[in-house]
Amino acid sequence: MIYFFDGSKEAFLTAFLLAYRDKDALLTAGSHQLALGQKSIFVPADPEKARRCETRFTELDKTCMRDLSLLLRSGEEMRGQIAFRYFRLIAERQRAVRNELAEDAVTEASECIRRVTLEAHRLKGFVRFMECASGALYAPISPDNDVSDLLLPHFRGRLPHIPFVLHDVRRAKAAVWDGTHSFSAPLEKAEVILAADETAWQSLWRQYYASVNIPSRKRIRQMKGYMPVRYWKFMPENPAAAVENLPPQPASPSESKDAAPRPHGSFRSLPEPRRP
Amino acid sequence: MISETILHILTESAKYDVSCSSSGSGRKNEGGIGNGMPDGCCHSFTPDGRCVSLLKILLSNDCIFDCKYCMSRRSHDVPRASATPEEICELTVDFYKRNYIEGLFLSSAVHVSPDFTMEQLVRTVKLLRERYNFHGYVHLKGIPKADPLLVSEAARYADRMSYNMELPSEKSLKLLAPQKSKESLLLPMKQLQRERTVFRAEKRKGFFLPAGQTTQMIVGASPERDGQILRLTQSLYRVTGLKRVYYSSYTPVVEDALLPAVQSPALREHRLYQADWLLRFYGFDVEELVPEGEDLPLDVDPKCAWALRNLQYFPVEVNRAPLEMLLRVPGIGGKSAQKILSARRYTSLTFEHLKKMRVVLKRARHFITAGGKFLGEKNLLAVRGLLAADETPEPPRQLSLFDTPAARSALTGEL
Repeated sequence: MIYFFDGSKEAFLTAFLLAYRDKDALLTAGSHQLALGQKSIFVPADPEKARRCETRFTELDKTCMRDLSLLLRSGEEMRGQIAFRYFRLIAERQRAVRNELAEDAVTEASECIRRVTLEAHRLKGFVRFMECASGALYAPISPDNDVSDLLLPHFRGRLPHIPFVLHDVRRAKAAVWDGTHSFSAPLEKAEVILAADETAWQSLWRQYYASVNIPSRKRIRQMKGYMPVRYWKFMPENPAAAVENLPPQPASPSESKDAAPRPHGSFRSLPEPRRP
Repeated sequence: MISETILHILTESAKYDVSCSSSGSGRKNEGGIGNGMPDGCCHSFTPDGRCVSLLKILLSNDCIFDCKYCMSRRSHDVPRASATPEEICELTVDFYKRNYIEGLFLSSAVHVSPDFTMEQLVRTVKLLRERYNFHGYVHLKGIPKADPLLVSEAARYADRMSYNMELPSEKSLKLLAPQKSKESLLLPMKQLQRERTVFRAEKRKGFFLPAGQTTQMIVGASPERDGQILRLTQSLYRVTGLKRVYYSSYTPVVEDALLPAVQSPALREHRLYQADWLLRFYGFDVEELVPEGEDLPLDVDPKCAWALRNLQYFPVEVNRAPLEMLLRVPGIGGKSAQKILSARRYTSLTFEHLKKMRVVLKRARHFITAGGKFLGEKNLLAVRGLLAADETPEPPRQLSLFDTPAARSALTGEL
């Protein structure tokens, strides 16, 4: 049986209660191609059942609801099933299973959680705000996982007096701090009127980005490993252009222009190599 | 707003400071802008693979010192510029607000005199903290030979300070940085360390270098061996209580008869960092890693090299070995070791399990057994070859004068 649910915590927990004893259960929050003769059911959230289920799980494992919240944020197609397998194991063993990394269900879930928290961590650095004429800050993002509201406390902590909007353009939603409250809201399109000197600051930042690079040490692979290309599009420093505009040079860093041998101090003072 | 030209001049030579970490400070926001993030945060990466975390900038590049390796040395013909403290503060706050940077790394050439420069630096940081109400990360470069009182005052406002050793021995320092001496660098480091300990013990209000001190050494500009460099590193960690030692592969930016003309190989820098990590997080002592007069091997990493010299300890059984021993297995790092420790409490681990837990077995398989099973190469002599083959080879390059005696005789033709 395939159990469709809407991706919310309540719906997941309701579906879990239904599917728990079903050996071939598949929980999914997305679309799923049914096999011939396969049965499916859409499970709407039942707040009462979900609350009971949550209470019981919290008794078994105090922090498992945090795991669930992270798992359901994942952009992974199979997130419903990964969470289901993880929670079924908690229910079977009647204890926290987080550290039992030899179990498939646990490794899959922890990998999935790791990807979500990693992206949230990365975005703390890669988000780029623009200043609007009103003084508020606006940043478009397009994360793989639904992490925009995970970023709220971080930016609220450092910019308590400045209202800001983190606009997840992929999911058409926004995480907002208005100076007193923080909340999430659907947001299709935003019209932004930039502050007068915003472009000047962006160009200053581009200038800075260009001048801290050491062209004789070209390591694009490393750069892309730390800062995957999918995050580049909202960055005013324009890393793609910086990579393209590098002076042409051989692939190895040590053969670059700076390192090329030239007639020079210590060599000049040495005698010419004798040739046989 | 600071002009683009001045920004370019003042960041051009600041970029050779490798220190970029913004970690270690949990400074809270006190009604202004910014706070510290104890884990640090990288905001961008440049095509050289380095991260941009802090705004690295000089207050001035107009220097009275004449350090041979430096872009801003007195005798070098480059455009000179200075920024006002206000310009720096404004730039920092506006970049920070847009989430471009995690904080400021402020340094300066020795302008007019060491005391004058240090005073300007302190004034800037004070302004940033008090008038601009900035509570983000500030890394301040110490100026050698400045007044000790200025140094302690700076430490009250900065999160981290650093005095760069630059060269790993007094002799090279005399030769290449004649105005600096080992004393002028070590004394303020020790002073700060002493005052920080007192400050913490007395639980005084405010901050005193919450993220500690770091230093930097240029590798490949002078003939010191890795063994010598790492011994200095270890003593800096143990005696002076430094948080980090950075190594910077020598890049020729100025020509001088006393300096090699070639870029020092990046692989050597990499091996030094690997050894540095072994000293700090893996319980190694420098005596185990490399003799004083030798370099680290380039073909395999320092931990592999140690394991190959000490095969009597291997293979270790992952289901029984203590944490200290797991950490000494090549290819197993802190995270993998912790995963193994927690997973083996529930079940006996096999190689399948390890693979699923994403423990990298490429190197480790030669040094471990799982449930009594061994998957490594039985012929011990072949292991080194296999390990070395996995490493990416260093691209061919111009020989350095300091590489090996053999290389020198190849250049001079002398036998």
